Amino acid sequence: MGEVVSHGLGLARPGWRANLEVVGTVVVARLKIVARYKGVILMEAFLPIVFAALPILLGVSIAGGSEKAATNFFNATGTENYALYMLIGASTFMVVSLMLWLVGYWLRREQESGTLEALYLVPTRRIYILAGVTTYAMIRSLTAFLIAIILGSLIFGVNPFSGNVLMAIAFLGIGLLPMWGISFLFGAFIMKVKEANSVIQLMQWVVAFLMGVYFPVTVFPPLLRFFALIFPPTVMTDGMRGSILALETLYGGWYVNFAILIAMAFVIPYLGYETFLRMERRIKRNEGVGQF
Amino acid sequence: MNPPAAATVTAHRGFGLSDLGWRQKLGTFYDMSKKQIIEFSRYPVAFVALFVQIFLIIVMFLFATLAFSGSSGTAGQGRLAGVMVYGFLVSMFLSFTLWEVGFSIREEQVRGTLESLYLSPANKFNNLVSRIFAILLFAGVMCVAAVVFVGAMVGGMPLENVAFALLVLAFSISGFLGIGFIFAGVTVKLKETAQFLVSFLQFFFMIFSAVFFPFSALPAILRDNISRYLPVSYNVDLFRSLLIAAPEPELMSYAGEFYVVLAFGIVSPVVGYVVYRWIERQARAAGTLGEY
Repeated sequence: MGEVVSHGLGLARPGWRANLEVVGTVVVARLKIVARYKGVILMEAFLPIVFAALPILLGVSIAGGSEKAATNFFNATGTENYALYMLIGASTFMVVSLMLWLVGYWLRREQESGTLEALYLVPTRRIYILAGVTTYAMIRSLTAFLIAIILGSLIFGVNPFSGNVLMAIAFLGIGLLPMWGISFLFGAFIMKVKEANSVIQLMQWVVAFLMGVYFPVTVFPPLLRFFALIFPPTVMTDGMRGSILALETLYGGWYVNFAILIAMAFVIPYLGYETFLRMERRIKRNEGVGQF
Repeated sequence: MNPPAAATVTAHRGFGLSDLGWRQKLGTFYDMSKKQIIEFSRYPVAFVALFVQIFLIIVMFLFATLAFSGSSGTAGQGRLAGVMVYGFLVSMFLSFTLWEVGFSIREEQVRGTLESLYLSPANKFNNLVSRIFAILLFAGVMCVAAVVFVGAMVGGMPLENVAFALLVLAFSISGFLGIGFIFAGVTVKLKETAQFLVSFLQFFFMIFSAVFFPFSALPAILRDNISRYLPVSYNVDLFRSLLIAAPEPELMSYAGEFYVVLAFGIVSPVVGYVVYRWIERQARAAGTLGEY
């Protein structure tokens, strides 16, 4: 009897291959769905270019010309290449934003269409379904990132391969792991407050603000700077900018940023998943996960 | 056997014995607006999120300008802040119109209430317009707060010709409604992709209608070949030129721009509604109105 009730899986004992298959199936299903909406990927790739173009055009008009803008920007940040600075910031922001958007919106959509409770009855653990959704979010956001960087570089006439590209890729890769955890946290929050659209839209700008999409977070007052410095996307963006534009990183050296990001990659996914499970248990005891 | 006399009345356009006069239209508008306000009040997080989001966007761009403005910082940037904030306010009304008119149709589709609405004897035009009434009231309050907030941050912003600017804003909103109607029709047709289409349109207008920066910051080829052909550009240009008391708007003379805004405000809703009804009829004939 004890075995039967184990994890609600009855007598099933899914091994790692079965679990991997669950993750793979969820990823494939999500990718198939998004493949029906072909304009979406293109749209996501263009958004960072627009996000980067706005402060560039604003900055040039404020400075009174592109040369003056480059000089002023150099004095403020340490690089004259404001276009690449903005493009890296905006493209990384898109990755972060999509990770939150896709996971949060997935949960909300399942709630609205009445299939979330059904998912709880399938003979697998939630972690694998969530892993599938977050993996899908990673694939989609990285695709958007790559297209945005390539297209954006062509449009703004900048060279994204001018600095240490491998290091930047490493920062992006490691930085995605804490993002995985943050998306769990975000999912838990969406389950609780339910208003996915407004929360996602607000969070997008909070994230953009905190991670310094358009400016170095050193301009923040001390308390805000502290929160920005412990926010994984800030460390990731800063590391990527530092690698490609040869800038000094917020923590003083690329290796410090890297070490901090690795530590975050261990801690935050665990915290995120634990929070998700706690929230889920609480909601199941009260109104139930399917209510919206 | 002849049908009773009342049967011919009952068959009138499927509305039964309902009164289709102005009182019914006003009643529809009132009830639908009330429904929207009640719905908003059920999601208080959305209200707060909207407020915070607007301030975050403004602050983020103000921080971005710091990196370009050299040693002067934000001091003496009141006029440029005016260009940015007043342009942003117009774009905010445009975004709300697109989201509320267009996207709420999508929500009705997903919830399965769109077809029911079409079976009710409610006026379809008022049904569409009422979707935006509540949010526009709320947006107006936010605009005032945004102007006060940014004015305090940059040490005062120009605020001239307020009455004339409000008239321009009224015609602008009327024009945006037309775009919203077309978008509502497109939503019925495109379904899920509509969400990304709204985002695309938002950012398209942000760049080409120079929402955050003067038109002079745009490359001449874009300004002359795209911006000048967008009515929204004239809404933005005239509104902010009036408020900052510019000697002349950037795209045309004051009189010229006012005629464009006036024509847009009158023609756009009519054209938009005709397009919406045309797409809607097609969807009804194909039986896809409620599909999603």
